[in-house]
Amino acid sequence: MKQIQEAYIVAATRTPVAKRNGMFRNVRPDDMLAHVLRGVVGKVPGLDASEIGDVIVGCAMPEAEQGMNVARIGVLLAGLPDTVPGLTINRFCSSGVQAVADAANQIRLGQADVMIAAGTESMSVMPQIMGNKVSLNPAIFEKEENYGIAFGMGLTAEKVAEQWKISREDQDAFALQSNQRACAAIAAGHFKDEITPYTVRTHVPGEGGTVRVVESVCDTDEGPRADAAIEKLAKLRPVFAARGSVTAGNSSQMSDGAGAVLLMSEAAVKRYGVTPIARFVSFSVAGVPPHIMGIGPIEAIPRALKAGGLTQSQLDWIELNEAFAAQSLAVMRQLELDPARVNPLGGAIALGHPLGATGAIRTATVMSAMQRDASIKYGMVTMCIGTGMGAAGIFERV
Amino acid sequence: MSKLNIRKVAVLGAGVMGAQIAAHCANADVPVVLFDLPAKDGKPNAIVDKALAALKKLDPAPLGSKDRLAYIQAANYGADLEQLRDCDLIIEAIAEKMEWKLDLYQKVAPFIREDAIFASNTSGLSINALSEGMPAGLRGRFCGIHFFNPPRYMALVELIATATSEPAMLDDLETWLTTRLGKSIVRAKDTPNFVANRVGVFSILAVMHHTQQMGLGFDEVDALTGPNIGRPKSATYRTADVVGLDTLAHVIGTMDATLPNDPWHGLFKAPVWLSALIEKGALGQKTRAGIFRKQGKQIMVLDLAQQDYRPSAGEVAPEVAAILKNRNPAEKFAQLRASSHPQAQFLWAIFRDVFHYCAYHLADIADNARDLDFAMRWGFGWSMGPFETWQAAGWADIAAAIQADIDAGKGMVDAPLPAWVFERQGVHEAAGSFSAEAGALKARSSLKVYDRQLYPEQVLGEAPKDRGETLWENDGVRLWVRADQDARIGILSFKSKMHAIGEEVLDGVIEAVARAERELDGVVLWHEAPFAVGANLQQVAQAIGAGQFELLEKTVAKFQQASMTLKHAQVPVVAAVQGMALGGGCEFVMHSAHRVMALESYVGLVEAGVGLIPAGGGCKEFALQAHTLAQRAAGGDVFLYIQNAFQTIAMATVAKSAQEAVGLGFARASDDILFNPSELLYAGIRRARAMAEAGYRPPMMNPAIKVAGRNGIATCEMMLMNMAQGGFISPHDYTVAKAAATALCGGEVETNAKVSEQWILDVERAQFVALLKNEKTQQRIVHMLETGKPLRN
Repeated sequence: MKQIQEAYIVAATRTPVAKRNGMFRNVRPDDMLAHVLRGVVGKVPGLDASEIGDVIVGCAMPEAEQGMNVARIGVLLAGLPDTVPGLTINRFCSSGVQAVADAANQIRLGQADVMIAAGTESMSVMPQIMGNKVSLNPAIFEKEENYGIAFGMGLTAEKVAEQWKISREDQDAFALQSNQRACAAIAAGHFKDEITPYTVRTHVPGEGGTVRVVESVCDTDEGPRADAAIEKLAKLRPVFAARGSVTAGNSSQMSDGAGAVLLMSEAAVKRYGVTPIARFVSFSVAGVPPHIMGIGPIEAIPRALKAGGLTQSQLDWIELNEAFAAQSLAVMRQLELDPARVNPLGGAIALGHPLGATGAIRTATVMSAMQRDASIKYGMVTMCIGTGMGAAGIFERV
Repeated sequence: MSKLNIRKVAVLGAGVMGAQIAAHCANADVPVVLFDLPAKDGKPNAIVDKALAALKKLDPAPLGSKDRLAYIQAANYGADLEQLRDCDLIIEAIAEKMEWKLDLYQKVAPFIREDAIFASNTSGLSINALSEGMPAGLRGRFCGIHFFNPPRYMALVELIATATSEPAMLDDLETWLTTRLGKSIVRAKDTPNFVANRVGVFSILAVMHHTQQMGLGFDEVDALTGPNIGRPKSATYRTADVVGLDTLAHVIGTMDATLPNDPWHGLFKAPVWLSALIEKGALGQKTRAGIFRKQGKQIMVLDLAQQDYRPSAGEVAPEVAAILKNRNPAEKFAQLRASSHPQAQFLWAIFRDVFHYCAYHLADIADNARDLDFAMRWGFGWSMGPFETWQAAGWADIAAAIQADIDAGKGMVDAPLPAWVFERQGVHEAAGSFSAEAGALKARSSLKVYDRQLYPEQVLGEAPKDRGETLWENDGVRLWVRADQDARIGILSFKSKMHAIGEEVLDGVIEAVARAERELDGVVLWHEAPFAVGANLQQVAQAIGAGQFELLEKTVAKFQQASMTLKHAQVPVVAAVQGMALGGGCEFVMHSAHRVMALESYVGLVEAGVGLIPAGGGCKEFALQAHTLAQRAAGGDVFLYIQNAFQTIAMATVAKSAQEAVGLGFARASDDILFNPSELLYAGIRRARAMAEAGYRPPMMNPAIKVAGRNGIATCEMMLMNMAQGGFISPHDYTVAKAAATALCGGEVETNAKVSEQWILDVERAQFVALLKNEKTQQRIVHMLETGKPLRN
């Protein structure tokens, strides 16, 4: 691809992440999206919203409450001009960072000067975790090499744990560290700047047929457990295999949340006089066997580094989505990633993983880290993807 | 029937009994307010909330279905007493302290309506003394109402009148408890511990006494005093552990304090070892250690000689076991008396002392011998009460033997047997049971509610049951009528053991329905519990052994024909269900036009356990249900409804109540759930009559059922794939469950294809026969027949 200009991230924000059926159980994913769109636009005072070329939104189960092209509905609910379009995209767990890459590419190709990338997902509204209606193709069961398509994510984590020899103890220790890091980050206020607090308005039956509206302000991630302890984690039973090692404690949490990122071309940056946070460097995806989907980043990270002309040691901050401790550790060990640079503020085991929103949410976390700490030059957001893929996006502090 | 309307119940005290009584009222569609003290800190109803949360976890479940919990409202004496004004029945179930109870009565009395009933669940305190704590205006509607633990499952409720209780109120309450809560009532006198506990605790004390006298182990005694003598599996000491050793000691203490003139008073002391255990905090099951203790998988028992626990291994000696197998009670008792084996001597001694005690006290503690016998059956789970056991063994011989032991100083006390014992040949006769107080026979209660029990439980010696008029029978079934109830509603009863369904039952069902169509207005499928344990596996195994697969396929086809005959009969077929209705039994339940079900119905399609799938129309019925339900849903996706049915069948889920059976789709919300199983036939006959009178027509065969087809099967297979890969199920489990999925989804046709009922039956049958030919399924069947347990292969 020959790009004609650079794309810069000038603002990023997110909701706090809620546990499935937690503080956002009555919050619609399109409302969460509208909220972060307003939030990110609000971070660039004086922005002429009609200049936004497109709003690309990642969502892993774009149906029901988050169906009907949730991106366009979010744009309209956010009060952006009718002229601003919206596009929903889906690459499962990487949808959010894919949206960032697609938005950047529009700028890099010269098709737009201002773009928004976002992600939204409510796992609370899904009656089943695999979406509203599960229906598998009979052909999957006709050939053994296709069986992996039918594997639940937890089962693929068991397969990775087995093949990469990741012990239960290591998984639990990793999970504990994730919780400890996340709790420390919350205590230190490290997420404050990236979160746009959400006021949940719940409609409950009041007196005499009237409806009472209860408001509560949500500004903190709900997932991290300050009381996490290795003994407690060790007691949990494996969920996906009778003699397995993957438990509810060392897997990512099911969550609700949204994130948004505002991107501009150099020309737009100059025109609005904003200070960009980072330059979009590169993005890659790669396929792996579906039955060990968790190792996706092992293939995606080197490709993204190569595309950006970087080496792994140049990465200062890595947001590696903790779908499962087993796959996170397999990726880290095989690529020899520095554990200190991976998820310094904790990961999805503690902070939660609202599927298609996670990529946008963790991009906001990297941007926030770059603004807080001038020593961070390169940051990455990477994750594994169901049915066997990996994605990685790299950013350079400017 | 009484017109006592109990719209709402209040239970005071959210302890083990109070909370479970509340749960059972909620089971019976009566909303409950459950009270306890306000919590010292936190939420004011925290004590009750905790008790309600515990209800969900108790096993056996006090709730018929978990959603019943929503009908129990938490309350506290601090803020909520006003709510008592809405309650028609108030049951007090707080701790057994007279002064606490009287204090509470003072507090609540101003809030109780004069037409409400107030009753205490005390197990030992004097009801008359409690009554005096009530304002005079409420005393007429005050009485004792003594439930047994667990109240959902134990039939007995003792109803205790005071000197001032209104007789009409007691009759109304007895009626309500009998028909609405399904309880079996004994009217008890206001004597300490009433009837069942008075005799039951005496029996435990006698067992303890003779255990020590004969130097037997606790495990050995439990082997002797359980099912071997017609008592529950938990026998004596295990029961004590379950009840709680502290509770047992408390009851013994009550006897000690309140029965100073009882000739056996010297026995009413907790043995030293019992007090020592309590002191150590080993209170039984609730503290995980008592007389027994679990150590890993090994059950350990306290050994008094070693002053330590040892592996539990008690067994009945072969020569004693041989005596206990004797079906002639007179011979059995004579042999026990004659044997010098300590176990035999022990057994004779415990029977002798209980007989002695019951005869001595009959006049003071119970209205008649039938009440005492029933109290022990219903409150302690004995298969026969003490008097009927005695009578069966030869009244005069046993009486002479007891007196001889008393005379020889072998009895526990030298109080003589009352004179009436020697003047009679027994206590139960066709005309009634003996009342020592009245010196005459007493007939059964004439309360109208008992007219609803066509076959009530009987004690030995009562008049034989009315067998009705047989219209037709074969080796498998009998078609008969009770002309006094309805001469044109047939009763179809199975004759087989556990009402298993074999060739002769299938033939019988088909022929009986044909006759009913010609000669009758309706049919009730009724017999005593269990409803039916499923297909006759013995016959299936024999045919497999002989390689008669064609014959087996024909039998399956006949099974389907029998189900369809029930469903499409020209007269309504009402299934009267109680106890287990499994496999083919469940399919007959599903195919009936209507169900009258006892709350205690255990219904499920359990074929997967023997490597098979439901093929008597069970899968077809679920496919049909999904089709019907989906028609009402936007989008009309049938798979939504198949998914749960698939899990129910693949996991062989059994509903643990009629209410759960409705939830799982084995029964319908429009069916009748009765709490007293003795009323099933009465209700079934009347339901069949009403359906006939209302112009009953059978459902038509549906020619166009929308099925989940290939995508549905694949989606079920996805679940199986994950379970198999995760090591949760075996490859054969996978095969069996996939066969169920195939039948439920209407075969390998396109998703949303429309097929006939007969097509799904054909698919179901083909899958079933294929499994029958599978070696692993055959192994499962043999294993089940040999061990009674499912094989995981």
